[in-house]
Amino acid sequence: MSAVLEARGIAMTFRNGDELTNVLKGVDLALEPGELVALLGASGSGKSTLLSIVGLLLRPTAGTIAIAGERVEGLSEVERASFRNQRLGFIFQFHHLLPDFTATENVAFPAAAPAGGITAPMRRRARDLLARVGLSDRMDFPATRLSGGQKQRVAIARALMNKPELVLADEPTGSLDRVAAEQVLDLMREVNREDKATFLICTHDEHVAARCTRRVTLKDGLIDTEVV
Amino acid sequence: MFAFTVARRYLFSNPSQTALLIVGVALGVTAFVFITALIQGLAIRLTDDVTANSAHVSLEPVTRVARVLPSPDADVESVAIVSTFQRRQIRAWASTVELLRSQPSVAAISPQISGSAFLVKGEAVAPVAVTAIDPSGLDAISSISTEIISGDASLGADGILIGVRLAETLGLSAGQPVLFRTDRGVDRLLIVRGIFQTGLQSLDERVAYLSLQTARPLFLLPEGVTNIELKLTDPARARDFAAFLAEATGLRATSWQEKNASLEGALTAQAQTGTLIQIFSLISVLIGIASALSLSANRRRGEIGIMRAFGVSRRFIAGVFVLQGLLIGLVGAGIGCLSGFALCSWLATLIQPDGSMVLPIAPNEGGYIAVFVLTTLGAVLASVIPARSAARLDPLEAIQQ
Repeated sequence: MSAVLEARGIAMTFRNGDELTNVLKGVDLALEPGELVALLGASGSGKSTLLSIVGLLLRPTAGTIAIAGERVEGLSEVERASFRNQRLGFIFQFHHLLPDFTATENVAFPAAAPAGGITAPMRRRARDLLARVGLSDRMDFPATRLSGGQKQRVAIARALMNKPELVLADEPTGSLDRVAAEQVLDLMREVNREDKATFLICTHDEHVAARCTRRVTLKDGLIDTEVV
Repeated sequence: MFAFTVARRYLFSNPSQTALLIVGVALGVTAFVFITALIQGLAIRLTDDVTANSAHVSLEPVTRVARVLPSPDADVESVAIVSTFQRRQIRAWASTVELLRSQPSVAAISPQISGSAFLVKGEAVAPVAVTAIDPSGLDAISSISTEIISGDASLGADGILIGVRLAETLGLSAGQPVLFRTDRGVDRLLIVRGIFQTGLQSLDERVAYLSLQTARPLFLLPEGVTNIELKLTDPARARDFAAFLAEATGLRATSWQEKNASLEGALTAQAQTGTLIQIFSLISVLIGIASALSLSANRRRGEIGIMRAFGVSRRFIAGVFVLQGLLIGLVGAGIGCLSGFALCSWLATLIQPDGSMVLPIAPNEGGYIAVFVLTTLGAVLASVIPARSAARLDPLEAIQQ
């Protein structure tokens, strides 16, 4: 089976005036289907930058990326947006739910926006996903009436709405208390195990990394260690 | 359309702010409607006042100019002699009247002999501007018969109608004789058949009406007339119609606008002032919309960033903000037009003790379609700036903030 993610020689240099900062210096990273990988590193090690590059939110200075066998570095902005919508899922530290929409509408949003509206099948899938993340009794609640943990669970359901091949999570438990963080981690493990969804989780939390199937540590813009 | 649903939700998410925004737009539109209706009403009143008792177009013979004659034998050029014996008159007035009758835009025709004369009563002498007309067309240009306050409007062979101020000056009353002396030195005793009071000083003090039949021997014009006065169905078209008549008849045709150039200038200046006020009220409305939507876009940076991250197109994001502008424009302009019409209609009912309106406002002339379209289009345009800034938001930057 081909790799879900195959990144080769990823380099990223930021320019600040005359000063150049090499954040990534040639990272190679491959993810197999169904993996739950923790991307670790100290602040400034380049893990968020690598996640943004893999998520097609940032273009690398050098290197190649293939997602599910498809090379993506030559895609236009519109094609990258479409690719993100159809093939990738995102979970961020801050959920950024749409406050004027219900939990179901928030989950369905990634599918509804390009289609021009929420269809009955979309609504059904969104409700199934909400049931899956344990929010059967909150489906029609406005996002503003959900707790922090519930909002992050809605964000996970939203990331899974379009059945992505790769889910990218940036500090997904960073803004949650210990109990809510445990629930979110359990949920991601469950989805990973049962749906064979591939996760790349960027974190600086050892406790989160310990729950993953593989740990990749970045140091000074390069992969320092990989532990299975 | 999902962008419409999102736009609607955004507007309803903060009802008080949206209501305030719509009220602001509606107030701007109401101000626009009020100014437009007031300026139009003022223009209508002034035009009515000027044209009510005067012709919309006057036809006169062309002024004859002495030609310069070349002299082959001498260096000095000579000037042709123009006969001053012949009066300036329209000889073929009957055929001109026929032509005018065939024009649907002509409401009334009055062939006239106009001239100067004196009325003499004992030692008192007063100059008068004489208007000699066909008695059946007495009211064609000015409504005289309804303004008679003494005697009647019957212009017989020796009758004359004078204004109340002139009658007071000469101590005349209806039925009394008065000596009529023309500028040609012809005298005749006429009977004051009626005294009118139009309220216009120029008419009541200076003008006397005779029949054409009476005037012909007095002004030595056995056949022709000196001028033909016209009323049109649409006074605003007088300038164009005058140009047409000048071409068609070879006569000098003067519109009421040309005769009242200063009034036209004042009306133009008034309209330009109104336009400036309208533009400023629209601009303030549009700035309000643009700033409110910009604030909204800024407040929703995180949401927009996450939408962009999961692949929602820039066009969709821009559409959400443009649709918000459209909805605000449509509702605000609609309410503003209704409230503007209500305000103008109420103001039109306020009457002064003399029966005239407190404000010369024309509620039906509020420029409703123009302001509705301009405000709605303007609101859409005003939303383009925040829409573009929202659509161009870097998702990574927005999410990290």
